[in-house]
Amino acid sequence: MSNDVWALAEINNGKLANISLQLTTKAAELAAAFGGSAAAVALGTNTQAAAQELGACGAKTVYASEGEVYNQYLTQPHAETLATLIQQHQPRLVLWGGTNYGRDVAARVAARLGLSIEYNVGEVAVEGDGIVMTVPAFGGAQSVKMQFTGEGTKLLGARQNAFPTSRGGGTPQVEQVHAPAVPAKGAKVSGPFGTEGAEEAGHLGKAPDGHDIWMPAASRAKLEEAQVIVSGGRGLGGPQGFQQIEDLAAALGASVGASRAAVDAGWIPYAHQVGQTGKTVKPTVYIACGISGAVQHKAGMGTSSLIIAINKDKDAPIFQFCDLGIVADLNVVVPQLTAAVKRRKGQ
Amino acid sequence: MNIVACIKETPSTTAEKSFGPDMRLERRKEDAIPNPFDEYTIEEALRQQEKHAGSTVTILCMGPATATDTLRKALAMGGDRAVLVSDSALAGSDAIGTARVLAAALQKIGFDLALFGSAAADAYGGVVPSATAEFLGLPLLSYASKLDLSGDSTARIQRAAEIGYNEAEAPLPALVSVVKSINEPRYPSMKGIMASKKKPLDTFSLADLGLDPSSVGGAAARERAISSEKVSTQRKGEMYQGNEGAADRVVAFLIEQKVL
Repeated sequence: MSNDVWALAEINNGKLANISLQLTTKAAELAAAFGGSAAAVALGTNTQAAAQELGACGAKTVYASEGEVYNQYLTQPHAETLATLIQQHQPRLVLWGGTNYGRDVAARVAARLGLSIEYNVGEVAVEGDGIVMTVPAFGGAQSVKMQFTGEGTKLLGARQNAFPTSRGGGTPQVEQVHAPAVPAKGAKVSGPFGTEGAEEAGHLGKAPDGHDIWMPAASRAKLEEAQVIVSGGRGLGGPQGFQQIEDLAAALGASVGASRAAVDAGWIPYAHQVGQTGKTVKPTVYIACGISGAVQHKAGMGTSSLIIAINKDKDAPIFQFCDLGIVADLNVVVPQLTAAVKRRKGQ
Repeated sequence: MNIVACIKETPSTTAEKSFGPDMRLERRKEDAIPNPFDEYTIEEALRQQEKHAGSTVTILCMGPATATDTLRKALAMGGDRAVLVSDSALAGSDAIGTARVLAAALQKIGFDLALFGSAAADAYGGVVPSATAEFLGLPLLSYASKLDLSGDSTARIQRAAEIGYNEAEAPLPALVSVVKSINEPRYPSMKGIMASKKKPLDTFSLADLGLDPSSVGGAAARERAISSEKVSTQRKGEMYQGNEGAADRVVAFLIEQKVL
């Protein structure tokens, strides 16, 4: 086994996902600590452009496999190529991201090759000649230190935004890898990706007068990648309450999140849910409006750099883990805040 | 059509949880429930059964011997029978070991459609469905927000993505993992609860599945927990009371923090 550390990049229909850069940055750091070399695996279309970005984040080598088959089938061709590459090169560690893609591919490779796999890793420390991973447990109430045991390549699944991106690398050596044939029993992508369904995902619900409320496309930036998030909960009182959240998010250039209570009430689609059963986010600022702050919600946003909470209940648990707590009526404060932000930005 | 809903037993969200000296979760029978996400798995199995006359629904779980109670709770929603895979050698299984066992049990039961939740509410790993599909050499349609089985030979899903969705299809037999937006789980009726007590519930051991004990359970786990600690988060915790001036305080805070 080598001391090399790899990152599994994620390419969605030719577009490199941000998590790929985070994983590659971390792979470069860990490879340096082990005295090995960092590489990235880029499977899909537009891999040459992706390779340059991955090189900039520290990948010395990029295994690039160009092929439409990766867009046409879910997971199986990707797992096939990654498993073959791991067998050929025996890296010490492969970092993958906690996305739908990462989970599905890494799980197949672990099952096929009998490899160690860990997931939801938030921190990695090099100790002695091994690593110690920090993983949240019980909805984030506890953190557990984990180690890999046994032989062979280890597959380390990182939470989204667990690692920062840095561009201290250069031009990588790109090794072309053949794309596999169409899988015999495959899960085939049969419908268009993304945009058509986006309208459905942006359906906030119905106003009291019966008309549908839609969220403008601009504020549907990926929550996991947002720097500022304005989030709403049960305290909004109904789907129309999200209009205020939407307005504030638009003024701040933020994305819109929600608590499980608001999603379960049908006020906003599941895609916006932050928490243990929703998305894990780590923005610079998280503004929680009318969210009580259950431990399950905290699990998804507790590592935000700054947390601002607006809630009229002074005993809400969220006030125990915020940087600025506003005990006030959000129906008064949020519109005022939106106006003040707009003034400040000269909008 | 043979439909199998694969579920996990988890501690309830509100239960006190702790690790034992072996760093394994201390499971208390009274706190055990079907993984809340798996209510959607079971519901989808029942809805597909309603659409396809003559189908059977089996609820499959790997867990301790006491998980029969959890399976009865699941059967109260509906379904024809349940299978528990339980064996002392399974304690301490990791996700890949679990997938190996589920794959063997699915093969023994026989299925056209195996349904999974996208993750369980305890560890939230989300890797078991895909690993199980790999062991079976079958396609997985993951993160389904809609499922349609037309003509009994192909499964079609709407697949939840970060923004919107795409569509995917696979020939049966296939595995499908579901997300919460796929349906609205039913509450067990009194009649369902009564009926659940009489439904067949089989228990498979590792020997029944032809699995070597050294290939599963703690013996095969390739990850190890070494310590755990309560998470404490140090925050500034500044408080501001009242509507008057609150918006200005937030703006000033955002400016202090160089966000605005």
